[in-house]
Amino acid sequence: MAHNVLLYESNRIMLGTLSNVIKSAPNCNLVASYQSHTDALGQGKVFNPNLLLIDVESQDATWLITEFRKAFPSAIIICMGERWQADSASHLVQAGASGYIIKPFSAVELKDTIDTFAKGGGLETSCKVMTFFSPKGKSGKTTLIANLAMSLARKTNEPVGIIDADLQFGDMAVFFNLNPSNTIVEAARDADFLAPVSLQSFFVPVTDNVSVLCGTRNPSLIDRVAIKDFETVVNSARSLFKYLLIDVPAGFNPTSISAAEIADVTYLVAMNNDGFEKQHIRKAISLFEEDWPDVKDRLKVVFTRVEPYGAEKSSELENQLGFPMEGILPNEYMLVSKAADNGRMALDIASDSRLSDAISHLADKIIRHQVRRDTL
Amino acid sequence: MAEENLINGVVITFFSTASAVGKTLISVNMASELAREGYSVCLLDMDLQFGDVSNYLKLNPIYTMADIQRMMQAENSDFKIYEFLTEYEHRGVAFHVLPAPLQLSEAYNIEPEIVESMVRDLQRYYDYIIVDTTSMFSTLNMRLLDLSTIVTFLGIVDFIPTIKNMKIGNDTLRSLGYDSNKIRLVLNRSDAKSQISRADVENLLEERFYHILPNDFRSASTSIKTGVPLVLSPDDSELARALRSLVSLYTNKPVEYESIAEPGDISEEKSGGWLSKLFN
Repeated sequence: MAHNVLLYESNRIMLGTLSNVIKSAPNCNLVASYQSHTDALGQGKVFNPNLLLIDVESQDATWLITEFRKAFPSAIIICMGERWQADSASHLVQAGASGYIIKPFSAVELKDTIDTFAKGGGLETSCKVMTFFSPKGKSGKTTLIANLAMSLARKTNEPVGIIDADLQFGDMAVFFNLNPSNTIVEAARDADFLAPVSLQSFFVPVTDNVSVLCGTRNPSLIDRVAIKDFETVVNSARSLFKYLLIDVPAGFNPTSISAAEIADVTYLVAMNNDGFEKQHIRKAISLFEEDWPDVKDRLKVVFTRVEPYGAEKSSELENQLGFPMEGILPNEYMLVSKAADNGRMALDIASDSRLSDAISHLADKIIRHQVRRDTL
Repeated sequence: MAEENLINGVVITFFSTASAVGKTLISVNMASELAREGYSVCLLDMDLQFGDVSNYLKLNPIYTMADIQRMMQAENSDFKIYEFLTEYEHRGVAFHVLPAPLQLSEAYNIEPEIVESMVRDLQRYYDYIIVDTTSMFSTLNMRLLDLSTIVTFLGIVDFIPTIKNMKIGNDTLRSLGYDSNKIRLVLNRSDAKSQISRADVENLLEERFYHILPNDFRSASTSIKTGVPLVLSPDDSELARALRSLVSLYTNKPVEYESIAEPGDISEEKSGGWLSKLFN
């Protein structure tokens, strides 16, 4: 489909630059370009554009998009800015925008952006961000995240993203048998200049609905991921996914603290070995309780490798912790091991296993909560 | 009370790239065995946030690393670090413990340079300083690795993500420029359930394990529950014997128990197993 493009850009030099890019882009026909938004709103209709590229940095962006939506009710509107502004994204979408692109852009970037948004894949406005935190490693949280993401995607058909922010020993690429050309290091490097569509190219798709932003390739690269850039990546990714799951390194460190603060919900995950895990979880809860008045809404506890597995054990753990138990996972060591060794999901290898049931149950809880939130 | 040495003691650090590989259990047993052999020993719990040394030994410390940091920062010339350590004693065998802070906020504020001063100070009083760490290349751990006499890099063979991280960790340690004898690759739970063979892992790491500890979940659990280290327990388990063998390798005293793998290069024995292909 050919796109008849109307361009509004307040900077004269940028207007010229972008006009040339649009003329060279495949399937794009620049029908009108304006330096003044009043001219664009008043005169643009003459040229019957079906795609509007609107500079949102020179005016009140929400007002501007609302006016363009009124004037061009059936056109696709893509906002243009010098950097991605996650805070205002949902306002722009509500006003009628479909997408966002960072300027200046190339013909290829424009094509990718148009392809994404013309298909009807607009920016997501109600993403649920979930951070998975564990006091110590080997808690089973990577297994939980990978399988939970698949379960959420299958149940809802919504886009689900995973960010592997375990910056020294992230395992998500191995779990999904991926060999990514881009990782969180490259995404963080470009964080300030990435619109969500560009960020999407850093995520590796593992199914139609599940994509992974893989962790660093070696431990020394941890220094390349500044916390502010990591937060920018997460905020941009909010616009791409309905559910975003973040894997963080064990313990309280700048990455895990930042991810917990930015998330809607933090899952506190520990393996139940009848050792000192409950003591560690209790210690971690107490720290979250100090900082979060709404801790029971924001913090959820999940124990893995629980045996005997069942409601009775869940209640027992809940009583021992003095904190609600969100879920328990049974000990399915051989299944988990087989899955991890073969780059497959436990859900796929044994869909009727107790582990699959437990993860499905947890996914249902998350979905119900999200539906309630969206309704409100 | 500890006596001041004329020479600095040996620092043995236990490090890994995965949690739950047995660092604390082996640290505790190494400290115990060295103490049983008559050496003066101090065990440091450098898993500052969630350290389990006090749990494993059933200790209720009065002073922790946080208190000692405060005292060291006060620059009191009369301060003697050994007066604030916690003693573990079982049937006449005793050693000292420097426990991790009790509060997470305290743990978060421990300064690596102060820890380095603590270790250097302790070296003046103890023959052996045993250091239990966390599983990451943090600023603190890098300092500890630098000042260690020996780094025991501990691994287990369970599934591929763990092996991948062991390979990355070993390569990173080797890239730090230490003498080759400083880093000693030790395999724990050697016969645990896994589809991956030890030989494949050794081929991937391009190095043979310096020592191998058997999987003995029951003895380890009992030890943790009772607070009595395996090497001090009357039940002379296979794991206890293997732990004593490891200690004898470090003290250069004759091996009292069954033979162990000798350190060596296996570069000529590479079989090009399936794990190597995976990580190429």
